[in-house]
Amino acid sequence: MRQLYRPLLSVITVSFLLLSTPIAQANPAPPIEVVASFSILANITKEVGGPLVNVASLVGPDADSHVFNPSPADAKSLARAQVVVINGLGFEGWIDRLVKSSGFKGALVVASNGVKPLDFKDETKSNAPEQKHSHKHDHKHNHAKDDHGAVDPHAWQDLKNGKIYAENIRAALVTVMPAARDEINARAHRYIAQIDALDQASRVRLAAVPEAQRRVISSHDAFGYFAQAYDVEFFAAQGWSTEREVSAADMAALIREIRKDQVRALFVENMSDPRLMQRISEETGVRIGGKLYSDALSAPGAGADTYLKMFSSNVNTILQALEP
Amino acid sequence: MVDFFWSPFAEFAFMQRALVASLALGLISGPVGVLLVMRRMSLAGDAISHAVLPGAAIGYMIAGMSLPVLGLGAFITALLVALLASGVSNITSQREDASLAAFYLMALAIGVTLVSVHGSNIDLMHLLFGSILAVDQTALVLIASATSVTLILLALIWRVLLTSSFDPLFLAQYGRSGRLANQLFMLTVVLTFVACFQTLGTLMAVGLLMLPAVAAKFWSRDIPTACLLASAFAMTSGATGLLLSYHASLPSGPSIVLTAGAIYLVSLFVGSHDSLLIHTIRSTRHPES
Amino acid sequence: MPAALKLNDVTIAYHGHPAVHHVSGAFEQGSLTAIVGPNGAGKSTLLGAMAGLTRVNQGAIEFDQTDAQHHQIAFLRQLSGINQDFPLRVLEVVAMGAWQEIGAWGAIEGAVLSRIEAALAQVALDGFEDRLIDELSVGQLQRVLFARLIVQDAPIILLDEPFNALDTTTATDLLQIIHSWHASGRTVVAVLHDLQMVKDHFPRTLLMARELVAWGNTDEVLTADNLARAQTNSLAWQDTASWCHVPGTPEVVNRKSHHGTHHHG
Repeated sequence: MRQLYRPLLSVITVSFLLLSTPIAQANPAPPIEVVASFSILANITKEVGGPLVNVASLVGPDADSHVFNPSPADAKSLARAQVVVINGLGFEGWIDRLVKSSGFKGALVVASNGVKPLDFKDETKSNAPEQKHSHKHDHKHNHAKDDHGAVDPHAWQDLKNGKIYAENIRAALVTVMPAARDEINARAHRYIAQIDALDQASRVRLAAVPEAQRRVISSHDAFGYFAQAYDVEFFAAQGWSTEREVSAADMAALIREIRKDQVRALFVENMSDPRLMQRISEETGVRIGGKLYSDALSAPGAGADTYLKMFSSNVNTILQALEP
Repeated sequence: MVDFFWSPFAEFAFMQRALVASLALGLISGPVGVLLVMRRMSLAGDAISHAVLPGAAIGYMIAGMSLPVLGLGAFITALLVALLASGVSNITSQREDASLAAFYLMALAIGVTLVSVHGSNIDLMHLLFGSILAVDQTALVLIASATSVTLILLALIWRVLLTSSFDPLFLAQYGRSGRLANQLFMLTVVLTFVACFQTLGTLMAVGLLMLPAVAAKFWSRDIPTACLLASAFAMTSGATGLLLSYHASLPSGPSIVLTAGAIYLVSLFVGSHDSLLIHTIRSTRHPES
Repeated sequence: MPAALKLNDVTIAYHGHPAVHHVSGAFEQGSLTAIVGPNGAGKSTLLGAMAGLTRVNQGAIEFDQTDAQHHQIAFLRQLSGINQDFPLRVLEVVAMGAWQEIGAWGAIEGAVLSRIEAALAQVALDGFEDRLIDELSVGQLQRVLFARLIVQDAPIILLDEPFNALDTTTATDLLQIIHSWHASGRTVVAVLHDLQMVKDHFPRTLLMARELVAWGNTDEVLTADNLARAQTNSLAWQDTASWCHVPGTPEVVNRKSHHGTHHHG
């Protein structure tokens, strides 16, 4: 029942934002220009808005939001937009500056409004002592935790949060285009039903794997919400980086961790030399899994170019690796 | 104590394999390196080690990071350069040709370009710097085979090679030339580099050949002794480098070569022959008149 | 006396220029001959051809039946062609002389070892077996090479400028050894620069300046006339009474003094 209050809250938030902008322009005619901060949000927005929206994404498919540096062209497209959708939870460190410099006066939607955030501390189960008090890592991998601060922003990895995202976006679009309310609501309703179906199906499939085997290591620390929602234990690989030469100590630490935590699968994309992964696999019996999508969609046509496809792909990849 | 030296190898299979590989490579690096240095072919050795890269790069373009294909490509281009170098040195055994230096720089550039265009930076790094931690059973078998073949070849050509290094025309009196021995020696050099580059990369491989060999010269100039010493130094560098990589979390290939470098520096300073210490002692003493 | 080695109209050319031009004659068995002539006279080239190392363009070098095999000729090249800085042991160098017996893999022991030790004693280097070659002086190195010749035990011995840069004691000692070879009936031929030494120690002389000038008993060959004739053929040639120090440079072929209308090579 509490679910109802969240969309309500977001409507109020969005309305407040709208009213507080000096230029309360007459409702613009569709299709409106929407800019989303990254590809996943862009896709959700497109699903909800359909032909009523032209959606552009600042950080494109297969790209990294953490190292994104906005350009003047980005500021221009922001200035032209009526709605901007961001994730929030500290994911876009660069957005405030960009909004200010672009002079954007439209509606800013924080898609994760109403999501119950998880801290990085709570969810990771790695054994490195430094996890507890600080998130400083010596690895230069793009997903360094010190970029995020303490809160994990990857809320979309739990499909229930995805529903919240869609809901927030729906509310904002309706506010901006009240004339198209029915169409928008219908589309959102259908889409959220799809998300729900996928959520249920995924839970069932994952639950079929015995709990002791639902233990994996990923080089990304982006799956905290997934881990909690679908009851899969994710351990982090310490100190691995694509940019640094791997030392014997790194190999040893990873092997020890796999053995200690009885990890069953290793998701290593972007981690390092695949031959080293094979050696580790031979030595510990851990399976080498495929590619997991953490915070970007794939390029169009590459099998994970929508939010739902991306999620399915991840679930399939995980299941394939965990299969007996 | 045991823990420090022994348990990393006891606990991890990848450390065991890396150790075996580096011991095998250290064993042949000794004599091959010493002979290269004695015959004043250090530059040729360098050129050959870099000639490995374009061959490996072409192998990589054809088949990705497949060990046998890389090895074959490396072998072919290295052999070509070796024959060229051997031809030069047959004409005059004292002179190193500066054109070899030009060649190996070009070979390096070609190799880097090929890999960068067709692959990732990671793969390039591994070709340049190797990955002794990624040695699998196949690689180990290849390394062990290369080591055995090299040792057998060296034993076979030993006296002929040394004779013709000292007096190139002598054997002609017996209807023999030293040319076959020279070519077989270059073959051992190529085999050694091809085996080494898998584990240490093309940039570092020459370090394992040269550093122990020149370090050995500070302890003994007698060739057989120098070879044994150089092997011992190289094997020690391998094991110690791996331990450094394990305990201090340093990259493995460079750790091995750094250790070899440290041994060289120690030899330079306090070796029993021609070292800085010896020179200092000599210069502070003067004969009684 | 039968000839150990016959030269039949031998011509050896480099790039169309004759280094040795129609030389004929014979070295009798057991003779001790010096080959002399100005710089660029083709002496080393001729010696090299006799040792089988250089091809003859025209004519032939014939050996007595039993000496036809190369290993019956021992050849000592100029010192400059040796890499003294390659640190072999004296034992290993002298053992090269026994290549016939031990080849590439035979052990240096037994009878062969005795011969090596005896040879070292003969050149006054007893106990030098384990010394390294690059520690030796030039004189000592040449003694070692002579010891190697002794071990080779060949009936024909060819020496290319064996006394270059040697001290008096060593030269004297090595001359003794040459004499002992001569006394034991071996055929010895040496390229030399020091005419006084030739006059004092070598009964036969071959004087050449790319062509044969004179070949016979030393006192008949080394006349002022002959020497003058040799000189006109080539670069200037110093007549000295004592040791001359000649750096071991290869022969220079003087194009201008090529006479005759035929070409070679």
